[in-house]
Amino acid sequence: MPFSLCLPHAWATLGWKAKIREDERNEEPHVSILFKLWTWRLSLRTGEFLDATPPPRNVPTELVEWVWDCRDVLRAKWDEKYPENVVFSQKEER
Amino acid sequence: MTMEMLLLHDGITDVWADEGFPAASLRSDEEVRDAYERLGRRRPVVWIVPDDSQLVALAESGRLLESNHRLLLLDETPSVRKDLLHLLFRVVVAPGKGVSLLPPDELREVLASDERVDLFVAGVVDPAAEVAMLYRGNLAPVVVPFAWFRRRDPSPKPSFRDFQITDYGQSVRFGKYEASTDAILYAHDADYRRRAKARRLQQDDSIGACIHRLRLAKGVARDDVPGVSEKQIARIERGEIGKVRAKTLAAIAARLGVEAAEISSY
Repeated sequence: MPFSLCLPHAWATLGWKAKIREDERNEEPHVSILFKLWTWRLSLRTGEFLDATPPPRNVPTELVEWVWDCRDVLRAKWDEKYPENVVFSQKEER
Repeated sequence: MTMEMLLLHDGITDVWADEGFPAASLRSDEEVRDAYERLGRRRPVVWIVPDDSQLVALAESGRLLESNHRLLLLDETPSVRKDLLHLLFRVVVAPGKGVSLLPPDELREVLASDERVDLFVAGVVDPAAEVAMLYRGNLAPVVVPFAWFRRRDPSPKPSFRDFQITDYGQSVRFGKYEASTDAILYAHDADYRRRAKARRLQQDDSIGACIHRLRLAKGVARDDVPGVSEKQIARIERGEIGKVRAKTLAAIAARLGVEAAEISSY
């Protein structure tokens, strides 16, 4: 089952989601922030967005901060789903 | 208004048209026949049709499968009628058993967006052939073997009987298992990979970075590449080896299941 972060009601009712699915593009550990047609991939190592498009500025800053504050849980969930590409060992490799 | 999409009118699609849906409208049998004759020669044309009876006029056209017309039906159609439609349209997507179609409000938004090619609007699973056919917003099909969804020994395991396209076409769900459309397209479409790579915020085009990304995507450990040592892989990925030997590259490519020349597209 995908791990869906329980977002504050105000964001959730607008349609925002933050999740780690069983199959994400597996090049850098990340959480996917979804809103309607768009996905933003937020690095679980650095807290930075992995892609220039869609523009990261379109994600409310408060939401990004809220998601990043949950990084410990998200990192643990990522490591659980992707044991071959865990958050911290990759950081050390680089 | 684009001629790449055609919208046949009824109660539902009238609302779409009123809200500025970017498709040319067809309102009569004559317009339907004319559009079928004129369009779809060079570029694919997506027909969005609420009810298959609106296409009966086409059966008289006699120009079967000469064009690249693709059909998205919003209502179920009897199998006999579907056979006829398959003679008229290169692709036919219609609700039915085993088919997942986005809910109407999400479908409308995806089809109207510039990103529609990179989102799935529908899909069908074939348990006998063990494949899922997923249709992008331009109705181009992507065929994904069940084995791809099982390749990482994911937990939970995909349940192919319980299939759904969700999140505005951004996720594909099989029971409790969920894959991102991004990951599926990245694995199965070289053009999508190239575009994704071009968009990457901090782009690193080195062969080492490509191998690193591909190795992680395939879930292969550094010490699991026959003929190439773990240390050597690490040095290549870190860019410490300026030019990778062809023999080494071939060994890495073979383990990662791609052609050596393809590595740089990752």
